[in-house]
Amino acid sequence: MRNARGGRFALGAVVVAVPLVLALIGPALAGEPGPRAASFTLGDGHRLGTDFVGRDVWRQVLHGGRPVVLTALAATVLAYLVALPVGLFGALTRRRRVEELLMRPLDVLLAVPSLLLILLVATVFSPGAVGLALLVAVVNVPDAARLVRAAATEIAARPAVEALRMQGETWWRTAVGYVGRSMLRTLAADAGTRLTGVLYLVATAAFLGVGVAPDAADWAVMVDRNRTGLFVQPWAVIVPALLIVALTTGTNLLFDAALDRGARRGAPTRTPRTRAVGTGVRSRAEKEARP
Amino acid sequence: MARVSGLRSFVARRLLLGALQIVAVVLLVFALTEALPGDAAVALAGDQPDPARIEAIRAAMELDRPAWERLADWVAGLLLHGDFGTSLTSGRPVGEYITDGFGPTLLLATLTVALLVPAGFGLGVLAARHEGRIVDRVISSVTLAVYAVPEFALGVLLVTVFALQLGWLPPTAVGYGTDLLGHPSALVLPVLVLLSRPVCSLVRLVRAGMIDALASPYVAQARRYGVAGVRVRYAHALPNALAPAAQQLARTIDWLLCGVIVVETLYVIPGLGTVLLGAVAERDVPVVQGLAVVFGALTVALNLGADVVAHRLAPRAGVAA
Repeated sequence: MRNARGGRFALGAVVVAVPLVLALIGPALAGEPGPRAASFTLGDGHRLGTDFVGRDVWRQVLHGGRPVVLTALAATVLAYLVALPVGLFGALTRRRRVEELLMRPLDVLLAVPSLLLILLVATVFSPGAVGLALLVAVVNVPDAARLVRAAATEIAARPAVEALRMQGETWWRTAVGYVGRSMLRTLAADAGTRLTGVLYLVATAAFLGVGVAPDAADWAVMVDRNRTGLFVQPWAVIVPALLIVALTTGTNLLFDAALDRGARRGAPTRTPRTRAVGTGVRSRAEKEARP
Repeated sequence: MARVSGLRSFVARRLLLGALQIVAVVLLVFALTEALPGDAAVALAGDQPDPARIEAIRAAMELDRPAWERLADWVAGLLLHGDFGTSLTSGRPVGEYITDGFGPTLLLATLTVALLVPAGFGLGVLAARHEGRIVDRVISSVTLAVYAVPEFALGVLLVTVFALQLGWLPPTAVGYGTDLLGHPSALVLPVLVLLSRPVCSLVRLVRAGMIDALASPYVAQARRYGVAGVRVRYAHALPNALAPAAQQLARTIDWLLCGVIVVETLYVIPGLGTVLLGAVAERDVPVVQGLAVVFGALTVALNLGADVVAHRLAPRAGVAA
């Protein structure tokens, strides 16, 4: 079983490495844009042919990874920047009304389908890459804040927090120094699944034309715009599509294997056997019940 | 959080939340139009800023009246006459757009859910029965990998293989109009792509629930009594694995909706998703408003149903409401 997990980890790392390396150093390798050729041609000095407006597909591929990866990373970080303080404050405040005021509006937003929210905003504004990152972050805030609050509430009930309070420690030291540090593992687990979801949302929004220029060098946009030439020049669609598949699948495999490993290392030493079974039961079902 | 005393008060709270969620969608759309910088009519005209069109938009949306009056009128029209307003670009009633697109989308969604439940539970139970063996490993790895893949990427790759290379299936539904049932081959790829993500998550959830249930003391007790394996598995263990799965089924509604929009675009199916995207591109605010409310209400209703089912199955689980 351990070998299988190690294998999954290695597989995930390899699969995600290809698109990630392309996204990071691709633009540096691409060089100057050549003259435009006819659309959807093969060969003729173009390794992967030309795209719908006659640009070199390979060059577009080299440039197209960075926006996807950067937007997704920015959106994930932004979501936590809002969700962490809101969730922590909601969990640690003594006033029920403040907690309700913070968390209830988020509950309302939670049920609005994420892509619908993004499309709604796109009707009225024309968000750029920054706008798209902000939007995806906003969509992720309610769920992340709920998770942070749930984790923090459980930790805040521990005797250690009570002791810190009685000792007169500052709110900052209790909230960030103890509660925040104690839930790092939960957060790491959530960050992995959230990044996978954010990658999905960013790519799908770009495919639907939200937050990107119609001729942008972006893998998702390339799939959309070059679809018309699929029967003439399939490489302009297949290569970016495969890269997106590798990026999302690899991220998911990698985080899943890494978390399994972490959980295994932490669990048995800390809790006696009977409780380990109980917590294991809950954590397995909860781990799968991700958004 | 107050303890939920019974099913009735749970449903009542959940209904209230659902109503609030629908109101939030309506308010959000209106707030967005209000938040437009400068003159909303100029902004909505976008690429064709000729004065006649701007004037037409201003008149059609009655932008010179206060926002709350327009909101009140719209809500009254919707509730009293089922009137969603008229499109800015074509002048047709929004209701017509919705009824036109409803058929294909409903067909896609029904087919997907009808296949999702047996496939998800079947594969999940299969994997749980063979935990740790090759069947389980294959099912677990494939579901984990496919789970994260965006529909559009999977969709074009399937088109390349099955339509371009093998020539088995048509690449899109172009030319079939709304008569999709008459051309079942055009439905295979869209339903397959729509299924991909929800099935993976359901399989993983059912597998995890089944493994937990099969390892539990009450199953061991049933086995000690000599209850037959099949009965233990399906009459005792499976119902307990169902509760988290029922909740997940509700979450997949969100995915199905995202998926429907992408799949309809990809395979050129004239459903609600295509209508919505067209309206978004043309900044046809009334059509988007109407569709957003329909989609929002559908999601809220289905979520509500799934939560009630999950609550019935496992009242201890404490479903958020």
